[in-house]
Amino acid sequence: MKKVATFPSHNKPKSMENESHGIMWVFAGLNLIFLCCAGGLFLFLIFESYPIFKLHGFDFWLGQDWWVGEAYGALPMLYGSTLVTALACLLVLPLALAVAIFISEFLTPTSRRCVKAILELLAGVPGIVYGLLGVSFLSLWIKDVFGLLDGNTLATASCLLAIMILPTVLTLSEDAMRSVPAEYRDNALGLGLSKWQTATAVVLPQALPGIMGAVLLGIGRAMGETIAVMLVVGSLDRIPDPWFNIFSSAQTIPSKLGREAAEAIGEGTHWSALMALGLTLFIMVLLINFIGNRFLKRRSIS
Amino acid sequence: MFRMLLFFLVAIGVIPFPVSADHSPKIEIVGSTTVLPIASRAAERFEKLQKIEKFKSSHRLRILVNAGGSGVGIHSVAKGRSDIGMASREISPSERKRFEGSHLKVHTVAVDAVACVISSEIYEAGIRDLTRQEIRDIYLGKIRNWKEVGGPDRKIVVVDKERHRGTRHVFMNYIFGNPTAKTPGTILVTGSNNEEQTKIAQSDSAIGMLSYAWINDEVRAIGIRDNKSIVNLTRETIRKGNYPIVRNLSFITAGEPNGEVKAFLEYLKSPEGQQLVEESGYIPFT
Repeated sequence: MKKVATFPSHNKPKSMENESHGIMWVFAGLNLIFLCCAGGLFLFLIFESYPIFKLHGFDFWLGQDWWVGEAYGALPMLYGSTLVTALACLLVLPLALAVAIFISEFLTPTSRRCVKAILELLAGVPGIVYGLLGVSFLSLWIKDVFGLLDGNTLATASCLLAIMILPTVLTLSEDAMRSVPAEYRDNALGLGLSKWQTATAVVLPQALPGIMGAVLLGIGRAMGETIAVMLVVGSLDRIPDPWFNIFSSAQTIPSKLGREAAEAIGEGTHWSALMALGLTLFIMVLLINFIGNRFLKRRSIS
Repeated sequence: MFRMLLFFLVAIGVIPFPVSADHSPKIEIVGSTTVLPIASRAAERFEKLQKIEKFKSSHRLRILVNAGGSGVGIHSVAKGRSDIGMASREISPSERKRFEGSHLKVHTVAVDAVACVISSEIYEAGIRDLTRQEIRDIYLGKIRNWKEVGGPDRKIVVVDKERHRGTRHVFMNYIFGNPTAKTPGTILVTGSNNEEQTKIAQSDSAIGMLSYAWINDEVRAIGIRDNKSIVNLTRETIRKGNYPIVRNLSFITAGEPNGEVKAFLEYLKSPEGQQLVEESGYIPFT
């Protein structure tokens, strides 16, 4: 209590002052819990994966063979995760931006609310539902359309992920565009720009930080998606041959964890290797967010 | 402000409690998806039997059956995360050694065969049997086209299973003489019997391994050819022991079972339980 009272006071009644600072401490405490969770998770992953790094060093990330009990090489999973996520982003970005511009700039408020409500509903559908749809329809379509040997490929997983993250990316980008002040639009229109020009030349650049945030959130979800990817990616721990062959089966980090964690749980080299995969994923998401934020900062300065 | 803090503390403190308030007896069964049909059938009947016997008791026995694979089953029963493990293979020497302290006990209830299965399209195109060597070469990636074994000119979709799966252990043990053989010819890796069955049925040129009970019109079992003689997969050839890839389906406990677990295992071995084995598509163990 003493601490709260020592905060610099402004021209407000003393009781109100204390009250608001008290709430602030509660919020700060809650914040601390979340920070501890994130930090604790990171430390836990490092601690659990230490044995495998001690055993294999950084070759863990370069090795291409994963044979439980013999060799643990994470490169195929690393590669699969990166490629699947990148492809999903490439697929989702143009679509999400186009639709977001349309909803934000060209729809009436009523229909906008309707469309958004439906989209946000889609964002809450669990991964397993998408996964089962992917197994029963998407993989067969992709197989037929591209004349493949089998439909369980990197491309299938990317398409599925793109569909999964589309509602999130779309609705958040739209929010970002919507929050660009109306004066900007009015000024642009007043200067004689068409509605389309206003949207692309005024609203879009202003909303870029928000869109970036939406994409980062989408990437986070795509990287961590387990079950949907597991069902359609083929789960083969091998880098495709040639490496850009997206119509071959591969493996991602979460899918690998999903398939093997239950057997290894708790101890041993196998478990440690799986935890090291988890750590890798954690670092990857961290890096992407970091780079994204840096990119934004540089843009806003220049 | 104190009230608020108190509220938060209470809110945080209260959350975990409702979950642990359940005291009714419970059996948790985890493991092989091959044994799972037997377990879930038996669980359903056994729960009903218990309900009639202990009509006045308010605590009703609950049996939870979960998939995961033989490796998961053995692991989780040894670690005490479940009461009974299901396994469609023997406990391997390394597992025996690793879980020595758990005194794993095997209760075999049924006999099953692991079939080499192919997509119905290939079966109809005339492939009815393969030799062990041919299957081996397909899994090694030396044979990549059905043409090379007398089938249509179509590439082979080689379907493998996760390495800890019991079906894979038994199948690879027969084909390669090594339960954890490496298979560079693989195109797809699947997990449960259901998943593998679906993926082979969806493909028109796949080969894979499946438990006897999972074979149907879209996923056909082929015979194993040895010199001139062919052993097809039928109930008769399994029962007589002619079919080469047979295995026991077992439930595993850590130490001697007692209480509800013992009663459940005895039920499985009783004539009624063996009837359920037959209903699930397996051969009773007698």
